[in-house]
This record gives sequence, C-alpha cells and structure tokens, in this order.
Amino acid sequence: MSAALAEFGTGRMALPLTVNGRSLRVEAEPRSHLGDVLREGLNLTGTHLGCEHGVCGACTVLLDGEPARACLTFAGACAGAAVTTIEGLDADEIAGELRAAFNREHALQCGYCTPGMLVAARDLVLRLPDADERRIRVALSGNLCRCTGYAGIVRAVMAVIADRRGRGILPETGAARALGPVGARIGETIVAPVRRLTSPVASVAPAAVSDLAAAFEPAHRFTQALDLAHPPEAVFTLLGDIEAVAACLPGAVLTARPAPDAVEGGLQVRIGPIAATFRGRARIERDEAARSGSVHGAGSDAGGRSATEGQIRYRVESGPTPGTARVELDVGYTLTGPLAQFGRPGLVRDLAGRIAADLVRNLDARLSGAAVPAPAGLNPLHLLLSLIRARLAAWLGRS
Amino acid sequence: MKPVAFAWERPDSLAALLARLAEAPGNVKLIAGGQSLGPMLNLRLVEPDLILDITGVPELRAVRVESDTLVLGACVTHADIEDGRVRDLTRGALRRVAAAIAYRPVRNRGTVGGSLVHADPAADWVSALTALGAEVEIAGPDGCRTLPVERFVTGPLTVALGRAEILVAVRVPALPAGAAWGYVKHCAKIGEFAHAIGAVRLEPGQGRGRAVIGAVEGPPVLLADARPLFGGRIGADFADRFDPAAADAALRAAGMTDAVERHVHVTVLARAVAQAAKPVPLNLPEAA
Repeated sequence: MSAALAEFGTGRMALPLTVNGRSLRVEAEPRSHLGDVLREGLNLTGTHLGCEHGVCGACTVLLDGEPARACLTFAGACAGAAVTTIEGLDADEIAGELRAAFNREHALQCGYCTPGMLVAARDLVLRLPDADERRIRVALSGNLCRCTGYAGIVRAVMAVIADRRGRGILPETGAARALGPVGARIGETIVAPVRRLTSPVASVAPAAVSDLAAAFEPAHRFTQALDLAHPPEAVFTLLGDIEAVAACLPGAVLTARPAPDAVEGGLQVRIGPIAATFRGRARIERDEAARSGSVHGAGSDAGGRSATEGQIRYRVESGPTPGTARVELDVGYTLTGPLAQFGRPGLVRDLAGRIAADLVRNLDARLSGAAVPAPAGLNPLHLLLSLIRARLAAWLGRS
Repeated sequence: MKPVAFAWERPDSLAALLARLAEAPGNVKLIAGGQSLGPMLNLRLVEPDLILDITGVPELRAVRVESDTLVLGACVTHADIEDGRVRDLTRGALRRVAAAIAYRPVRNRGTVGGSLVHADPAADWVSALTALGAEVEIAGPDGCRTLPVERFVTGPLTVALGRAEILVAVRVPALPAGAAWGYVKHCAKIGEFAHAIGAVRLEPGQGRGRAVIGAVEGPPVLLADARPLFGGRIGADFADRFDPAAADAALRAAGMTDAVERHVHVTVLARAVAQAAKPVPLNLPEAA
C-alpha cells in the first residue's frame, strides 16, 4: 500500500485539493473535517460551522460541484477533490443573481447561515424545474436560519428560478456523473498513520457526582416486567444483595460501598459501534414489607461529556403460577451531552429490553445455584440498572 | 468538535480491503459516505483506531442488472438513485424513497450500503428494502454470502456482519407489473429521522404481499405475508379491505405497548396502503 500522501510519524497527511480553482496541498490530520481544513488551514472563513454533525447546513460547500456537508467530509475522504466555497462563487452567475435577490428580499439578518444557504439555493436554482414554493421550502429545511423565518429567502430563490426559467434556461438533471459519494475518488490509496497524543486512559476516576436530590423528575420513563421461575421471597432477597445483582448485570462494575445504602461503580453499554462507560454512584432503598425498592443513581462518562441520572423502582410480586415471581420495573432517566444529542428513547428501550433479558437469565442461573458467567468488567455493580438504562438511553438517546 | 485521532486507509481493491480488515488490530470502522458515522465520530460516540475508507474500491461503486434483480454496489448514493443514474426496476419506488432521505447535501454522499450497515431503525432504506424483499451480498474471508435484509438487521445499530465481513451490494428485485407499492414516513421536521414508517409491496393478482412497519424500537416489523392486514385476502380491492385493528394487533404482538405510538404507526401504514392503491405521480426532485 502506498504511503505517498502520508508523512509517517506525524499522523498528518499532505492533502491534495483544488480549492476555488487553485490546486494545492494542505497539511491535515485525516480526522480533520473539510470545514476545519478550509477555515484553519486555508483561512477561508466564509464556510461557517454550526452544529458540526450534519444538521444545520451552515458548512455546506460544493464538492466536485455538488453540495455536501463540510463537517461530515473528513480530510481522508476527499483527497483530490475539487472544493468550491462561498469565496469561490464571487464570479458565479447564479450566485450573483442570488446575492442580488437576497439583498432585495432581506433574505438574511445575522448572516451566519448565509454561505451555506447560498450554496444550497444555487443547487435548487440549477435543479428545480420551476419556482415551486413548497419544494423550495422542503429543500431548504436542511439549512437552518433562525433570523428570517425563511420568508425572504424563499422569495429570493423563487425569484431567481422564475427569472432564469423565463429566460429559457432549463433545469439540470444531474444525470452525468460517476456513481458514489461526491468528492471520493476511485482507486486512490492513502495511508495516514495515527499519532497518539496520549494513550487512552482505561480507568478514569469516578466523575464527580452531585448529591442525589430526593426529588428527581426524569425526562423519559418506561416500565418493564421480568418473569422468574423462583419464589418471590427468594427473588426479593437476591435483589437485596447488591454485589450479586451487579454480577448478574452485563457491563456493570461495583467499585466501592461507602455506606450500606450507597454504591459506587460503573456501567458499560454498547449499542452497535457506540460504547460508553458511565461511572458514578447510586443510593439504594428497600421496603421489606412491600417487597419493593429503588435505586437512584447518577454518573457521567469519561471526560464528563455525557451525564445521566436515573431511578429504577422495582416491586416483586407473585408470578402467574405458584412459586414464580414477577418483578415490575419502573425506570426513569435523564440524559445530557452528546449521547442525548444523538440517541432516541426508542433505542434505549430496546437496549434496556436486551439488558433485562440478560439480567433475568443471570438472576435465574444464580437462583438455581448455577454459576453466573463472569462479567466482562470488574466486580458486581448493582442496581446500576438505572445507570445502565441511562446509558442505553444515551446511546439510544434522543436528539 | 473533533473526532478522536485515528489512522485512515483507503484500499483500492476489495481483496486489499478484506485483507486489511482481517488483520488490522484495534477498533476498526469502515466508512463510505460518512453521513451516519460522521456525526458519531464528531461527537466521539465512536472512537476508532483505524478507519478504512471503502469508496476507493471500484466494484462497490458499480451497478448491474441480473435478470430481474438490480444489484447496487454498497457505495451507490441516495442521490445516484434519486437522479436516475442507476436503473430502477421498481418503477420509481427506489427513486421516491431516495429523494426524501435527509437533505440533498447528505444524499450526495450518503450511501445505500452505509445506511443499511448503520441500521438505524428510523432510516428509510432499512424499512423500504425490507418491504421490497431485497437481499444483501456480504463478502468475508470465507467468501460471499447473501442474506435477506430482514435477517441482516438484527437490532438497533446492529447487523449480522462478522468482524472481517463487509456488505458489498444490495440486491433489489424488480417490482412486477401489477404490483402495488406504497411508502410513507412521518417526520415532525422534514429530513429528520422518521417517527413512523409504513411500507407495502402488494401483488393483488397473485393474492400476496409484504408489509413493513418501521421506525420502531428495533428492526422493522415485517409481515412477510400481509394477508391478515386485509381480512385474509389481497385482491384488487385491498385498500378497502385494510384492517387497522389487524395492524394494531401485529404491533402489540411485536411488543409496542404505547397506544399512541401504535396509533401513529397504524395510521402511517394505512397511508402507505392508500398510496399503493392510488400512486401519486413521481415528482422529482421533491425532497429536502
């Protein structure tokens, strides 16, 4: 494999690009996205960065002549591509007409969305057959503007399309271009070795956790029932043994027991390619008479970027047949940070369901006297069920 | 927002890609258009040691027709399908789905293979290709295998791919003359991930059909035999015979306990059935 584009030992690559008609090589890490390469490496600050995860459209540029999100195009993915930024559209005929129309229709206020908006609008002027307001509004939904309410922007785009079609300029179909992602060349080989600045720290000190407030209002809530073929008394007794429960909970690790009703530890959750480890602590309460209890926990992931707080209430009841038990779980959680930005509650519930299935299997094995499979992590962490759910939530979390 | 530092390699052949995937240590992720993985990298929800960029492999960017099956390379983009750069044997079904995925700048780089492997339950292709009866071609150290999409997507963000395997192509069977297709999704904001998806592929002449209820918690709910939704028989009058209670029962059986959620999904499926009975003209570009 060729290493022509890589500078070994630095983790950086000499990225060949044609930017606004100029061929150049810019030094970049493969993880840098095109927006940063343009702004930091080439001082082309007309490309704006908003959300940096593909939602807001502020960073939209032309890649091989087609609009693309600069924030979702990594340097390693666009070697050899032709990039046109807003700075490169000064002499562009359509962009010129759009600028005049934006000016006339008051289609901007703060201007932050405008570079991406103009690139997207130019694409519509090229492709839409006529000045259909609904289609324009639908198409511009990928570019967020929080100033104008879109009224002036839509009027401007409609005016330019109507004018050009009136002059007999037909829409383009985009039929002739190579298959595959724009900006990605076939057959080129890039090797950009990584330079690890720091070795990843496997164990991070438990994140600081504020005292768990008694009143907790979760953002999301769901219920789940676990059926076990063992007497309710035995199940309730087992649920009181936090080390045992943690051992049955996949991904849970118990690290400390600072008080009889408190545990510290962590929970690792994996959903597809996402893996997160939350560390924190939980407070345990039990009501022997009602055969119920609760676990209220809070934690954050390494670096403290995502945080969660959750509460699991459980009640052990008699199952459908004598000698069996049903555990009713009421799970509430709140998740903040990147995981929450990404996930959706439905995914959390599915993950919770799968974890619950593992938990039931392991609890059942333990109650039957069989050995529980060794947990992947350290020790038993207990009813970090809540944390688990929260993590799940995180992965699956809601945006 | 910066992803974790990773190495980046771009094999130029399928053989080189498979060899590297099999031998590379650490956490390796494949990337095609990066429109699903990119946000997760930027948010550092995924922290790979090495990214293998598969877009340099020519056969992954090719399309072929085998008899009545369209074979889409994994790196064919939504925009490629939307614009008609690939043949559509589904009489516009694929184009209509593609044109309504996210936003045009995303469709210009997002790929059909990447979307399937990412396996977000709310993604369009996961549901649409399941309803169309599509299969995936998987290549690995032990050769190639084929799986129906409904057996490929096993959970949220989870697919039946081995550590050293990759999805190389999607096989979409033709929609025969006389077959009816309906696909409707519900989004609160245009271009976002759907809250509910309904899809039907019905052959009234043969009395058979498939129905999919998607954007649920896990893989889409597939009724490979959709007759129960139509009072036990799929005929030319299928739209009149659609039974929302049967769809509701299917969702109950699939574990959807929330009545409001079931109502939204059943309503969206009913709209898909209505669309299949009375197709709207293909109106492109129509999408966000």
